[in-house]
Amino acid sequence: MDLEHLQTEIETDLNSVVSLAALEEVRIKYLGRKGLVAELTSSIPQVAPETRGIFGQKVNALKNKIFSLIGEKEKFLQAQENIEKQNDLDIGLPGIALELGGIHPITQTINEICRIFQNMGFSVVEGPEVETEYNNFTGLNIPLEHPSRDAFDTFYLKKYEKLLLRSHTSPVQVRTMQAHTPPLAIIVPGRVYRPDAVDASHLFMFHQIEGFLVGKNIKFSDLKGSLEIFAKNIFGPKIKMRFRPHFFPFTEPSVEVDISCIICQGQGCSVCGRKGWLEILGAGLIHPNVFKHVGYPSGKYSGFAFGMGIERIAMLKYGINDIRLFFENDLRFLKQF
Amino acid sequence: MKITYNWLKDFINLKISPESLAEKLTLAGLEVVSLEKVKGDTVLEIEITSNRLDWLSVLGIAREVSAITQEKLKLSSQLKFSHFGNSTKSSAKDFGLKVQVEDKKDCPFYSGRIISGLKVGPSPVWLKEKLELLGCRSVNNVVDITNYILFTYGQPLHAFDLDLLSQKQVQVRRALKGEEITLIDGETKLLDPEILVIADLKKPIALAGIMGGKATEVTAQTRNILLESAIFNPVLIRRAKQKLGLQSESAYRFERGVDPQMAQLASCQAQRLICQLAGGTAQAVKFSSNLKFTSPVIKLDAQEVDKLLGLSIPVKRMVQIFNQLGLKVKALASGVLAVSIPSFRADLKLPVDLIEELARIYGYDKIPQTFPEIIPGKNITQAHDIVGGLKNILVALGLQEVITYSLIDRTLLARAQMQQPEKLVEILNPLSREQEILRPTLLPSLMRCVAFNLNQQPEKVNIFEVAHTFLAPEAGVQENLFLGLALSGSNTCLTPSGVIKDQLSLLHLKGILERLFEKLGVKDFDFLSQGHNKFDILIKGEKVGVMLGVNAGVLKEFEIKNHQVILGEVNLAKLFLYLGVERKFCALPKYPPIARDISFIMKDNILINDLVKKMQDSGGQLLRVVKVVDYYQGKQIPAGFKGFTVSCVYRAEDRTLTEAEVTPFYNATCSLLQECFGAKLR
Repeated sequence: MDLEHLQTEIETDLNSVVSLAALEEVRIKYLGRKGLVAELTSSIPQVAPETRGIFGQKVNALKNKIFSLIGEKEKFLQAQENIEKQNDLDIGLPGIALELGGIHPITQTINEICRIFQNMGFSVVEGPEVETEYNNFTGLNIPLEHPSRDAFDTFYLKKYEKLLLRSHTSPVQVRTMQAHTPPLAIIVPGRVYRPDAVDASHLFMFHQIEGFLVGKNIKFSDLKGSLEIFAKNIFGPKIKMRFRPHFFPFTEPSVEVDISCIICQGQGCSVCGRKGWLEILGAGLIHPNVFKHVGYPSGKYSGFAFGMGIERIAMLKYGINDIRLFFENDLRFLKQF
Repeated sequence: MKITYNWLKDFINLKISPESLAEKLTLAGLEVVSLEKVKGDTVLEIEITSNRLDWLSVLGIAREVSAITQEKLKLSSQLKFSHFGNSTKSSAKDFGLKVQVEDKKDCPFYSGRIISGLKVGPSPVWLKEKLELLGCRSVNNVVDITNYILFTYGQPLHAFDLDLLSQKQVQVRRALKGEEITLIDGETKLLDPEILVIADLKKPIALAGIMGGKATEVTAQTRNILLESAIFNPVLIRRAKQKLGLQSESAYRFERGVDPQMAQLASCQAQRLICQLAGGTAQAVKFSSNLKFTSPVIKLDAQEVDKLLGLSIPVKRMVQIFNQLGLKVKALASGVLAVSIPSFRADLKLPVDLIEELARIYGYDKIPQTFPEIIPGKNITQAHDIVGGLKNILVALGLQEVITYSLIDRTLLARAQMQQPEKLVEILNPLSREQEILRPTLLPSLMRCVAFNLNQQPEKVNIFEVAHTFLAPEAGVQENLFLGLALSGSNTCLTPSGVIKDQLSLLHLKGILERLFEKLGVKDFDFLSQGHNKFDILIKGEKVGVMLGVNAGVLKEFEIKNHQVILGEVNLAKLFLYLGVERKFCALPKYPPIARDISFIMKDNILINDLVKKMQDSGGQLLRVVKVVDYYQGKQIPAGFKGFTVSCVYRAEDRTLTEAEVTPFYNATCSLLQECFGAKLR
């Protein structure tokens, strides 16, 4: 038989094979005990001695070739069969994927607030947690021995007379303004510390975000406009705001900002103490004495500043009723966010 | 501070309901925190901000209500001296009393009025009820009148039983070291020279501005009194009350500072009432005064108001608001107002303080909302962004962020076997032992967090925290940003051939750090054994952190059973020095690589890093990558040996390699393994 013809024939045969069963038939046809290759092999002795060697080699090569062609086809059909098998998958079986971790809800809240202000053009700056008495109090127009300091109970360090753990993020105002001239649009997230007795709404460590804008002709109406954008972004477009006069040593005029209660929509419930309003932040125009302390020329700049507790915002946003949950770090709690 | 609706009516006509009044006060900065109807009256509890001494009186709040409701104050004439009658009659007896003030800086004003022939007894019902509505216990007519005056005018007073003073001499002086006083509440306090007292010639009889002494208090037996009205240095009062742990209505007002013009008026008013209700006779008055009050004038440019608030208020309205708040205004030329500040408004110092008054009364709600011009892009620092990116990478690698307290109990360090006592930053005034020190490392807190969570029996606890650590070397406090990591438990993978449980190990932590460093573009990092399952993390030879397998003793200390815990810590300030976040495109290889695997066993004391490095160094120019693709120890491998499969990838930049080209290099590498490392090929 013609060896070349045989090779073309098997290629034709294999092309028409579409199942493993049909492939087995082709295999038997060529490689079976009584197959075509066996037939050729048995014919070797009949070939003339001078060409027998070459013929033998050719038969052998052809045999190897057919082996590998069938092998390839088998792999192909097998793979195809596997794919088809998946059509019968019980999709109720658990899916397979690497597990993701998660970001702490406090960090998520910080990120969200930072993003809102970054979209307005603010930059994020951070500062140290161990601060000087000057940056934490005096530079911010808070007299050291006055009842206005009572709102800022503070941890002091042993061995260092003038060092303390910052009781708010406002010292970063002093630091930033000392190092840079306006215009400034800065947002400062970070940990703060106060020796408060621990209960469901108080801890000795918590987080704040401080924001301040300094330039020429910054007005109280600008503060209202900026905070409105913030509140609607974080609590939704239906939220109403209320600006109440207040006192902070480092702002004048000062304001406390309430939002309409997100639980009862202002109707009055236990969360808002039946008032319909929730206090969320303190703000105001930066006090001229603060500018004086950082060495800005008198009357040249104006600016606003605001500060808020992150835990409070996160508790309102997520409906969490105990501040201690944030730092207990129970994974069953953290994985909900 | 509590106030009643009817009491306010003594000073002003109220045409609005208590509820509406509460709302208006709140929106003017006097936040009404509760409102309670009692006995035909309404008690309002108001949160008074620390700058407003004048709001600590019914009169002061009435003045505010006058501005809010645009109603005139009824009784401004009552505040004139003449109204109280002449208190210095020629027949007045002085009982030989002398008043002596040691330092007028401590006590700028002191007056002692003598009232004789009193009949001390219960107060009339109206007075009792008024005080009780504010939560003030009625004592007797004399004491009640001093309290009534305090609440009405904001000036604290004190009455002494004149006959119980040792000699008729009153001194205002610093306490002597070791002196004691028993107060009217029965408590005895040890005093020192930082504390100001009122004393007779023998001993202190009152803590100035805070509380009177038991020995000279007014009782049913009292016939003659000394009525004190004074002004004390606010800082002294504040220090003393903090030091002694005392609080009183009197101290609450004195530490804020009282109205310097009220001390005399209030004392006259009290004297009049005492004579009226307790039937006494006003006798001599003894003064010591250093008061000089001139009403300061602040000039306010009306245009500044608009410029700062973004709201224009008519000048006429401005004047009206100021007047109703008790401030006199003179209009100067060119829209400038000269505003005289009365003695009860020491909080008003700058033009901006006046602008706040206008905004408050006119209404914050009338100020429009505008958006400021913000000049963006002044990126002062990017550290926050880098940390954010780092956290996201760790989350993608399956880790959960935690936040633990920066303040810890000193023993937590010892329990985690991480004590560095001489460098710790200690807290001067912790409330509990859990706030003793600022932590020098994140690891003990993470360890505690792992232990807490393992109790809930999760499959694994994979956590990280980014926070500051604190050390106190020779000078100052060193505050560093650290990344802490902790792994425990196992990864579970469900496959058709069954569940695979993969216990988390140091190699998992190494893998996490490698992925993190690669993604942050950090090059040349390495892990160096320090023995005892502890490894230094190095970048370009500099130590940037550690990782370790927690030892059995520490596990036991944290009550962790049947689990390993892996911890790691990286100094982020150091890590950030090696960031390579900028990317440059590299052309993709044009020709395919050829990979050859070598499987072998070798003695298990040979370090794989040494071997891979040698293979890389001597593998020839075409060798691109050498990596361990499999390793095993077990039944098929003889004891003392370990098995590896290492893959060598060869590639040329300018042509497709042939097997023949690669084979000599491959063979050379095989011989190298055999000769240098005694590897046996499999």
